[in-house]
Amino acid sequence: MTKSNTEKNPNLIWGLFSSVRLTIVLLIILAIVSILGTVIPQQQDALGLAKQLGPRLFRLFQSLDLFDMYHSIWFRILIGFLALNLVICSLDRFPNSLKRFRAVPKPDRSKPFEHLPSEQTFLTEGNLKGTSATVARFLRSRYKKVRNKETQKIIYFFGEKGRFSHFGVYLVHLSVLLILIGSLLGSFFGFEAFVNILEGERIDAVALRKEMATLKLGFEVRCDKFSVDFYENGAPKEYRSDLSFFIDGKEAKKAVLLVNHPVQFRGVTFYQQSYGSVHRGKVRLRISAPQIGPEDAAMEVEADKLYDLPGGEGQFSVRDIRDNMMGLGPAVLIFVQPKEGKETHFWVFRNKEMVKGRLPLPMARSPEFNPSAFNPYTFFLDRVGTKYYTGLQVNRDPGVPMVWLGCFVMVFGFFITFFTSHRKTWVRVSGEGDRIRISVAGTSNKDPVGLKRHLERLVNDLRNRLDEKRR
Amino acid sequence: MLSSTVLSYITFAYFASFILYLFMMVMGRDFFGRLATYLTLAGLTIQTFAIILRWVESYRLGIGHAPLSNLYESLIFFAWVIILLYMIIELRTKTRTLGVFVTPLAFLALAYASFSPGIESHIQPLIPALKSNWLIVHVITCFFGYAAFGLSLALSIMYLIKRLENTQSTGIFLKLIPRSGILDELNYQMVVIGFLMLTLGIITGSVWAHSAWGSYWTWDPKETWSLITWLVYASVIHSRMVRGWKGKKISIMCIVGFCCVLFTYFGVNYLAGLHSYAK
Repeated sequence: MTKSNTEKNPNLIWGLFSSVRLTIVLLIILAIVSILGTVIPQQQDALGLAKQLGPRLFRLFQSLDLFDMYHSIWFRILIGFLALNLVICSLDRFPNSLKRFRAVPKPDRSKPFEHLPSEQTFLTEGNLKGTSATVARFLRSRYKKVRNKETQKIIYFFGEKGRFSHFGVYLVHLSVLLILIGSLLGSFFGFEAFVNILEGERIDAVALRKEMATLKLGFEVRCDKFSVDFYENGAPKEYRSDLSFFIDGKEAKKAVLLVNHPVQFRGVTFYQQSYGSVHRGKVRLRISAPQIGPEDAAMEVEADKLYDLPGGEGQFSVRDIRDNMMGLGPAVLIFVQPKEGKETHFWVFRNKEMVKGRLPLPMARSPEFNPSAFNPYTFFLDRVGTKYYTGLQVNRDPGVPMVWLGCFVMVFGFFITFFTSHRKTWVRVSGEGDRIRISVAGTSNKDPVGLKRHLERLVNDLRNRLDEKRR
Repeated sequence: MLSSTVLSYITFAYFASFILYLFMMVMGRDFFGRLATYLTLAGLTIQTFAIILRWVESYRLGIGHAPLSNLYESLIFFAWVIILLYMIIELRTKTRTLGVFVTPLAFLALAYASFSPGIESHIQPLIPALKSNWLIVHVITCFFGYAAFGLSLALSIMYLIKRLENTQSTGIFLKLIPRSGILDELNYQMVVIGFLMLTLGIITGSVWAHSAWGSYWTWDPKETWSLITWLVYASVIHSRMVRGWKGKKISIMCIVGFCCVLFTYFGVNYLAGLHSYAK
């Protein structure tokens, strides 16, 4: 490699990465490949598709990381290119913006006054000295710093607003970097895990989602109680876990965990994610029938075991136990096998009254939902011996504050970029016969419509001020 | 429910204003334009009250929440924001020609909400994941964004139609459409508002997801599609701000951008994901 080549190479790369054309191309490529990831099922969901693909296609997809696209090397390289692109673009353009920020234009420039629209100039009565003093006072009330230059016949003023507007775009670019750095911090120093805890039990480790490994927390968590509330229509209203945290066996904290209200302990955050139940213990049934007397027969039964009916006409068993059958609360499925005749089965709900009101009529009439379906017996469900477990998402993400900072800076940067502009205003006061001519001109780095409105208002206010003064 | 009955009538009001705006454009009679403006304003006012009424009704049912919780309510809100933004533009620019391109969007959103059999118009209680103050901020910012992009779509179509005009053409319709420079500038303003609102929508969504699901970004299809939309409009803004693209190219990009918005809004429902309650 020759010397000139090594010198030229960095320039080539610099030239490539400082082009906004590359930015647009990268943004569009990222958009298109992101679509892929929403069409191809990702991670756990990919299994279904994997079965349909042939082994060769599957291997191709697998080697391209298409089943976990957003975490693949090539996707990260694309994002890395975008980051590099915006860093170099910003570095490339920053000196220019700084120059514009620092520039001190001369008050007596004549170029802005070329082709001045007629509504930006007017004649007024008065003398040059007095008028220019009023103009100066007026402009000082509008601009932080007003520079002027006096010649014998003409007095020039210059004021400006929004110089910082040149930096808005760099804030936005910085914010993208902050968010990317925050997400990197999270993926290097954080973890995502989950754990199921049975009511009354303690855990000290959680299962990592990515690595199929467990992670010791360094403390213990106990689920004291889990509960679900339902609306009248059966939709879930609230999931609630009562948790206790222990350090070295001593209780350190009690907390209530709800969806949307995570609990933090020692830098680890717990989220209510799912729940479930295991059937521990027995189902408590009551059975009434004329032949067994006025008192109901109470029975504690286990699932899938056969029991004799109290009157001895046959046997029955509990085949299914549901904590919340069709949103109507606990129910069990009972199979009755009489000594003679066909087997019957039906659901028995704990809350009979609620079922009556809520079940659609055809269903309520069907024997499937009639606890007296096996004549003359009527079954009642007193208690379902279930135990809940709470499913927790357990995360640590030290990058989150950085990401939020990035978001804040981004919105702030947008406001500066889109809604502020660097407006420079020149005002010229000159004698014209025995009257005074006042001309107002301006330039702006963006938003020409806004500038025009700004200048019109300035001219109007200035004219009013001068009129007041004369009166 | 009274509110949903009223809202279904407003569908016809917006359809009627579309017809009136069209009459104005074809016949060149300003009378129809004024009538259309009054009708649209009346529709917007009644719709505002209907949305408030729906809010009150939800409290009467004992499951009080802002009417922003499912597809039906979001469509109603979407139509409301479109008309609101349009009315502001009409009053500020004093041109009515945009009306004929914008009112169909509001009309279609309301018609879909009120008359599609698959859409549940009853007030439903909030499931635990939706019980958060972020719901209101997230939905409002997102739909202001979508609506601004909807207006940008209308302006882009107008721009492309305006290009068909040549010196010999006599149609009043084309003549009434404002100068393409104005359309281009207005379109850019809409893209900026939409982009800012979409950004705020994504950020508030992230903050919410972080407290509800434990992660601010999970590459859920809706999240990904909102990012895709964001990337498309980011490239629109870069093309215009830095490379100085204008007119036709920008209009086409804005139309592509709105297709992404539509997919983010509706298409994602056909893919599995965490936003299932928005179906």
